[in-house]
Amino acid sequence: MKFTFSVSPNLRQKQSTKRMMLELTIALLIVYAFSLFYYFKEFGSEYAIQALLMMATALGVTFVTEIAWALFKKENMKKYLASSFGWITAIILVLMCPVDTQLYALGMATFFAIFVGRILFGGFGQNIFNPAAVGFAIIFASFAGSKVADVATGATPISTMATGYNWLTLNDTMISTLLDKFDGLWNLFLGWYPGGLGETSTLLLLVLGAILAIRKVIDWRVPLIYLGSIFVLSSALALFSGMSNWLWYPIFHVCTGGVAFGAVFMLSDPVTSPATKQGKCVFALGAGIITVLIRVLANAPEGCMYSILIMNMLTPAIDQAFSGKQRALIKKSWISLSVLSLLGLGSMYLANMAITPAEPKKPEKPKTEMIAMGDDYVNSLSAKLDGSVKNADGSTTYQITAEGFAAKEGPNMPDYGHPFEPNQFEITIAADNKTIVSVNVTAMNDTEYFGDKILNAKYLDQFKGKDISTLNEVEKNDVVSGATFSVKSSMRALLEVKKALGY
Amino acid sequence: MSLLLGSMRHHIPGYKELTSKKAILEVNAGPQVFIPMFASHSTQFEILVQEGDHVKVGTKIAVCKDRMEIPIYSSVSGTVKGVQKIMHMSLKPLDHVVIENDGKMERELPFQPLDYQTATREELIAFMKEAGIIGQGGAGFPTYVKYQSAKDIKKLIIDAAECEPYITADHIAMENHLDEILVGILAMRKMAQAEEAVIAIKKTHTEMIKKVEAAVANINGVRVLAVPDVYPIGWERALVRYVMKKDYQKLPSEAGAIVNNVSTAYAFANALLHGEPIITALMTVSGNAVKEPVNVHCPVGVPASELIEACGGYTCEDVKLIAAGAMMGKTIVNDKFVAERQMNAITVLATESYDSVACMRCGQCCDVCPVGLQPVRIVQSAKAKNQAMMEKLHAMDCIECGLCAYICPSRLDVTENVRKAKRQLAMAKK
Repeated sequence: MKFTFSVSPNLRQKQSTKRMMLELTIALLIVYAFSLFYYFKEFGSEYAIQALLMMATALGVTFVTEIAWALFKKENMKKYLASSFGWITAIILVLMCPVDTQLYALGMATFFAIFVGRILFGGFGQNIFNPAAVGFAIIFASFAGSKVADVATGATPISTMATGYNWLTLNDTMISTLLDKFDGLWNLFLGWYPGGLGETSTLLLLVLGAILAIRKVIDWRVPLIYLGSIFVLSSALALFSGMSNWLWYPIFHVCTGGVAFGAVFMLSDPVTSPATKQGKCVFALGAGIITVLIRVLANAPEGCMYSILIMNMLTPAIDQAFSGKQRALIKKSWISLSVLSLLGLGSMYLANMAITPAEPKKPEKPKTEMIAMGDDYVNSLSAKLDGSVKNADGSTTYQITAEGFAAKEGPNMPDYGHPFEPNQFEITIAADNKTIVSVNVTAMNDTEYFGDKILNAKYLDQFKGKDISTLNEVEKNDVVSGATFSVKSSMRALLEVKKALGY
Repeated sequence: MSLLLGSMRHHIPGYKELTSKKAILEVNAGPQVFIPMFASHSTQFEILVQEGDHVKVGTKIAVCKDRMEIPIYSSVSGTVKGVQKIMHMSLKPLDHVVIENDGKMERELPFQPLDYQTATREELIAFMKEAGIIGQGGAGFPTYVKYQSAKDIKKLIIDAAECEPYITADHIAMENHLDEILVGILAMRKMAQAEEAVIAIKKTHTEMIKKVEAAVANINGVRVLAVPDVYPIGWERALVRYVMKKDYQKLPSEAGAIVNNVSTAYAFANALLHGEPIITALMTVSGNAVKEPVNVHCPVGVPASELIEACGGYTCEDVKLIAAGAMMGKTIVNDKFVAERQMNAITVLATESYDSVACMRCGQCCDVCPVGLQPVRIVQSAKAKNQAMMEKLHAMDCIECGLCAYICPSRLDVTENVRKAKRQLAMAKK
C-alpha cells in the first residue's frame, strides 16, 4: 500500500491551460478559414495559396526555432513543444498580416516574435510584450516595403481613412464615397473586404469572442471595455466635430483596423495583461484611449497594435498600483477608471481642435500657360508663306510651312521613323485683314501623340475672332500639354501671316 | 457578476451522494485507542493519568491550560499504556495517550447534564468550557471563548453548509439528530444573547432545508437560510458577509454575529443532555479510493486504518489519504493517525499526477480567492524574496482554503506556494 504525499488541495478543476490553448487555436483557425474563403472567392486560388503559404511559413519558422532551442537547452522535445504554445503566436501573427505580405518578411517577423518575443524572456508565461504584436511591429518598422504591390487588395478601409480622409470628414459625399468603396457599414461589420487576414470580420470575431468568454478562455471585460471605449471616444470626437449623422463614425472605428481581432485574441492574452479584474479593466480602457489617439493624431492605421504594446509595457505598473486586497481596492479602481475616461474624453476634445476634417478637393483649374509671340524659340524657327487664296467672302487663306520640333531637332533625334518635315498650316483672315477666321493644320509631322495634340479644336478655336495685329501671346491650354514645340510651330506660322500683313 | 471583482468563490462538485443517504456505520474501538493531546492553539497538556491507571469512558485524562483551557476525556474504558508520539491530522507528530481497551465501555459522568433553560448564561459558558467543546468545523477552536466575550450579538449563525466536497457528516447529523441539535442551537443562542439563530444550508439541499424548516417552524427566532452551493461559503467571513452584509476586522462579533458549526451544536447538546464530552467522532469516510464510502461514528482515538477497514478497505494501491476534506485536509503518508474530536472526514483519493505547465498569469486565482488576495503575485514576490511586496499583498491573510490551486488551469500548487510566502514572512518576523 502506498500513501502518496501531496500538498492540499487535492482536487483540481477540469479546465486546463492546454485545453484553453486548444480552444483558442480552434477559434483562430475558424477566423483563418473565413479569410481563406474570402480570398479564394473574391480574388481566386492564387491569393488563397498565398495565404496558405504565409501560414506554412510562420508555423514552419516557429517549430524550427523552438526545436532548435529545445535541442540547445536539451529539453524534452515533445513536452517542450506541447507546452510552449508557440503556434498560437504564429497564427495570430499571420492573421494580422495582409495577404500581400512577403514570405521572407513574415518569416523574419515570426522568428523575432518567437525567439525575442518569447524564448529570450523565458518562454511561455514570461514574456512582457505580446509576441505577435512584437513580430508585427518588426514587419512595419523594418520591412515597410515588404508588400507585393497589389492594387487589388492594397486599399483597406483603415488605410483609406488614414491616407485619404485625415480620420475625420464632415462632408456627406465623402462619407458615402468612403463607405460605398467597401460596400457600406454592414459589409464592414461582416468583414468582406481586404485587410489583415483575420482582422476584417468584426461579426465573426465578436461571436468567437463571446464563445471564448463563456468558456472562460478569455475574460469578457477586456474586449468589451476596449471596443466600448473606442466606440464612445470616437462618438465623442464625432460629436465634438459637429458631425450630423455621426453614428457611422464609431461603427467604422470599431469595425476596422483589427481592433476586434486585437480585443479578442491579443489584448486578452493573460500573460501580458494585469492579474486582477481591476487591473484588466484599467488596462483595456487605456488601450482603447491610446488606439483612438494614435489613429486620429498620429494618423496611423496601426493604433491597435501599438496600443497593445504600450499597455503591455504598463502592465507591471498597473499590477503594482493595484496591490492589496481586491475588495479594498474597488474605490481606487473606480477613481482610476473615471480619471482615465475623463482624460480620454478631454483628449478627444483637444484632438477635435487639432484635426482638420478632410474636405472634398475642388476641381482644379486646367493648367494654362501663356507663350509670348516674341518667344526665343518661336523666332528661332524658320517659316515661309507658300501662297494665299482670296475667298468669295473677301477673306484670305494663307498657306504657311513652319518648322516644328521634328524639322528643327530632327538631326539630333534618334531614329524617328519618318522624314523630319516641317508642319503646314492654313490660316484664314477676314476681309478686314485683322480678324482671324480659322487656323488649321494641314500637315503635322511632329512627334506622334504629342505634336498632334495641337489638332485639337479646343486649342485651335482660341484664335477665332482674335485680331492678328495685336496677337502677342498664345494660350497653351491643357489639351496641348506636352506639345509645347508644336504649339510654337503654329505660333511661328501665325507670326509669318502677321508679318505678311505688315503688322 | 461584478465588473471589478471576480466571483471570490467557486462551485465545486460535492460528491455528497456517495454517503448522504447511507445509515451511519458504528465502529467500535479496537484493542488500543490513541487520544491526541491537541488543541488548536497549543500542544502543552497536563496529563492527569499515569501508565497503568484504569480509566472509564468519560474520565478526564488531560487538560490544556495554555491560555485557553481545554479538557480531554477518555473515549474507552481500559488501562493507560503510556504516551506515544504519532502523526496527527495536523501533519505534526504529537503526544497521544495510549489506552488499552477492555471492551467493557464502562462509563462515568465527568459532569452532570444541565438544563439550558434554567441555567444562566455564565453557567452555560462555564459548562461548555468544562465539557471541552471545540469547533467541529475542522479547526477545533475552543467554543466557549467566542461566547465569553460576546457583546451586542444580533445573530447566531449555524454553519450547516458543509462546503468541502465529499463530506456529509453535518448532513447526516442533522438527518439523525436534529432534535438534539436544536437544543444545542437554542442553548448557544442564549449564551450569545442573540435575537436570532440562522441555520445556513446550501440551496441545493432542498430536502434538508424542508426538514429543518419544519422542525423550527414553531420555534421563535430560529430560521433556515439557503446559501449558495459554492466553496468556501462555510468560511466564517464568507458566512458573516452573506448573512450580515458586513465585513469585520478580527472577530465576527464586530459585525454582530457568532458563527458555529452545526456539529458543534450537536456536541454541545450531547454534553447538556447526556453529560457526555466529545469522546466520539461522527465523520465521513469517502473518496474515490475507498470501497464503501459511509459516515462512521467511532470513539476518539481509533486509528484511520481501522476505520478504512470498516469501510471495506482501499480500492487501489496508491492513494492519497487525507485527514479531513479534499480541499483543506492534509495528506498523511500512513494510516496510523487517529479519529480526532474535531475531525469530520477522512477522504481517500486515488493518486493522480497533474500535468502542470507554466503559469500564464491568467488571474483566475485572484478571481476566486475568497479573501480577495492575488495568489499569483504573492507567489511571484515570494520567488523574488520581496517581503515588502508580500506584505503589501496581505499574504498572511490567506486562509489556505485551496481554491487558488483548485482553479489553476496550469495545475500549479498555488496554495502551497502562498504557504511558502507566509513561511518566509513568519521567518522574517522572528
